[in-house]
Amino acid sequence: MERVIQETDNDAFSCKISAITKRYLPSSEQKKIGNYEHYEDIHLEFCKEIKSRSRRKYANITKACRHSLPVMNYGTYLRTVSIDLKLTQWLKNNLENPADKVQVINLGCGSDLRMMTFLASFPGVQWLDLDYKDVVTFKSTILRSNAKFRASLQIEGDLPEEPSSIENVITDRYQLLPCNVTDDEQLIPILKKYTDFSVPAVILTECVLCYLHESKASQLISTVTGLYKQGYWISYDPIGGSQTNDRFGSIMQDNLMESRQLSMPTLMVFNSEDKYKERFPGKSEIQTMWDYYQNHLEDSERQRLKTLQFLDEIEELQVIFSHYVICTTNWRI
Amino acid sequence: MDVDTDVPMHDAVEDQLDSTLDEEAPGFDNGLASSSPGTSGIADNKATKPVELTGSSIGQLDAWLEKLSQCQCLSEEDVAKLCKMAVDVLQFEDNVQPVSVPVTICGDVHGQFHDLIELFKIGGPCPDTNYLFMGDYVDRGYYSVETVSYLVALKVRYPSRITILRGNHESRQITQVYGFYDECLRKYGSANVWKMFTDLFDYFPITALVDNKIFCLHGGLSPMIETVDQVRELNRIQEVPHEGPMCDLLWSDPDDRGGWGISPRGAGFTFGQDISEQFNHTNDLSLIARAHQLVMEGYAWSHQQSVVTIFSAPNYCYRCGNQAAIMEVDDTMNRQFLQYNPSVRPGEPTVSRKTPDYFL
Repeated sequence: MERVIQETDNDAFSCKISAITKRYLPSSEQKKIGNYEHYEDIHLEFCKEIKSRSRRKYANITKACRHSLPVMNYGTYLRTVSIDLKLTQWLKNNLENPADKVQVINLGCGSDLRMMTFLASFPGVQWLDLDYKDVVTFKSTILRSNAKFRASLQIEGDLPEEPSSIENVITDRYQLLPCNVTDDEQLIPILKKYTDFSVPAVILTECVLCYLHESKASQLISTVTGLYKQGYWISYDPIGGSQTNDRFGSIMQDNLMESRQLSMPTLMVFNSEDKYKERFPGKSEIQTMWDYYQNHLEDSERQRLKTLQFLDEIEELQVIFSHYVICTTNWRI
Repeated sequence: MDVDTDVPMHDAVEDQLDSTLDEEAPGFDNGLASSSPGTSGIADNKATKPVELTGSSIGQLDAWLEKLSQCQCLSEEDVAKLCKMAVDVLQFEDNVQPVSVPVTICGDVHGQFHDLIELFKIGGPCPDTNYLFMGDYVDRGYYSVETVSYLVALKVRYPSRITILRGNHESRQITQVYGFYDECLRKYGSANVWKMFTDLFDYFPITALVDNKIFCLHGGLSPMIETVDQVRELNRIQEVPHEGPMCDLLWSDPDDRGGWGISPRGAGFTFGQDISEQFNHTNDLSLIARAHQLVMEGYAWSHQQSVVTIFSAPNYCYRCGNQAAIMEVDDTMNRQFLQYNPSVRPGEPTVSRKTPDYFL
């Protein structure tokens, strides 16, 4: 099961590269609010490194770029932009004074390269990336071998000798560490060692909770929200849908199980916006990606997106995007 | 439409990535294919008057239909023959093709071949039942080649029993984004079959008129068209244009707002109840039947039953969970909707099934 979940990182990363090469990302809003100047470079550089290390992963990326349908690029755009903007907004509010500190903890980070942009944009941010050992080894080997990544992440020490495998990245502001985040015995010591419970924390879970069993997911939420005095959780996931006759979720479960033995144990449990939001303690807000597309993009940006690829229909976007949500929770102990 | 030659489809970043990516991607065709109409040769020797089917061509068509009904593609050579025969049928049809009742009216199919077979089970086999399909045979589903070959073969075999209109996906440009082009490359190793079919699409009629009362088309109305006669005057034998009346007929959608509106899609307009009622009144119509939009029950009324949307691809893209429907119109013009769910895809091996995309 672990392996099957890890594979989804490759899907997400491939979709992101597709959205970048088709110029969906970075969005106009991202460019306005943060340091996205090197966004393409960073991702293409990472692609190059993947190419020399895993033909299989690389083939997946080329495939995604070749057959990139507008619906997937739109969805990847909405997911990426909504998370980045919510994260940026919270960081801005909590980093008003130069002395303010915030830590961002990306649980199940995969190949996500968000930390590059945010570490560059916010000097007050500490960033902790956690994922399964294999994922972390792959990512840290790339980050520590590549001169550009070493420079921007301020990774010191000798260049590793290939093909040695590297288990982590640890710098003053950035740590990438192996951890099964559903195992408190692994998670709590790492958080204790590398983070400060009295410093406000942002937790990111991007398509992570959906793969966990209900008990594991709720344990993860209660463990983490119990440790930090103040925090903000940003979670992006699919929801199964709660309307009568809405079969999107059950079809999704069947399709993913049949084709790749991937299960989403709580897709139909937290199947509505309300149910998903109630998993979190504190004051939560939730919106579907369809709502985000309809109500949170500037008209000019929607026009820009339309020029990138031929968008043939809207109804399908509505069906699909109504089943993905971004949920944010503020808590304070 | 938003894709035109001024919009850079391929930018520097993509080229940069592709130049590093395509080494391991054999057969990767980076650019849009040359899409000059007419180069396939299927319309080089058109008949000057309608041709009667001979015994041998009937035998050949029946053999093709038998093969296609098993979801097996025809050879490239046979596709060429089929398309040539189809040009000689379709070129003599009208922009507003007259259709008599009884007839069963169907919406988008989108390459979902097994669901098309299900449709014929629900509605009755062709030619026992007369059919009118309102476009979008290709793209999105995984069997566009088989689907469009089958429908075109039925059209040639039973020309007065089945009518196949053009949808917005029956176009060179759209099929290069939404799958038919890639599927042809994959199944035939070249773009020849894609060229033949897209050349053939230019000949498809764009609207039909059932018993002078039900106006059928893929998309909807156009601000440049007030009468059915104005549709008859269009030159339809061309690639679907980016704008103008022919484009609108294939792209527009009814809307709750009155009047004409800007379409959220790439092309066409939205039109309100006032527009539909006026059009029906002017042309002495009882109903506009159209397809083009995914509707969860398979059919949906709008504009107080002036307009009906019919969508015949159940569980669209193997992901959306919608029902499909077809509309039977009997010889007294009574209408009945038949809804259906996806076929269980018999005979389709599980291993070769492609998963629909999700955000993971």
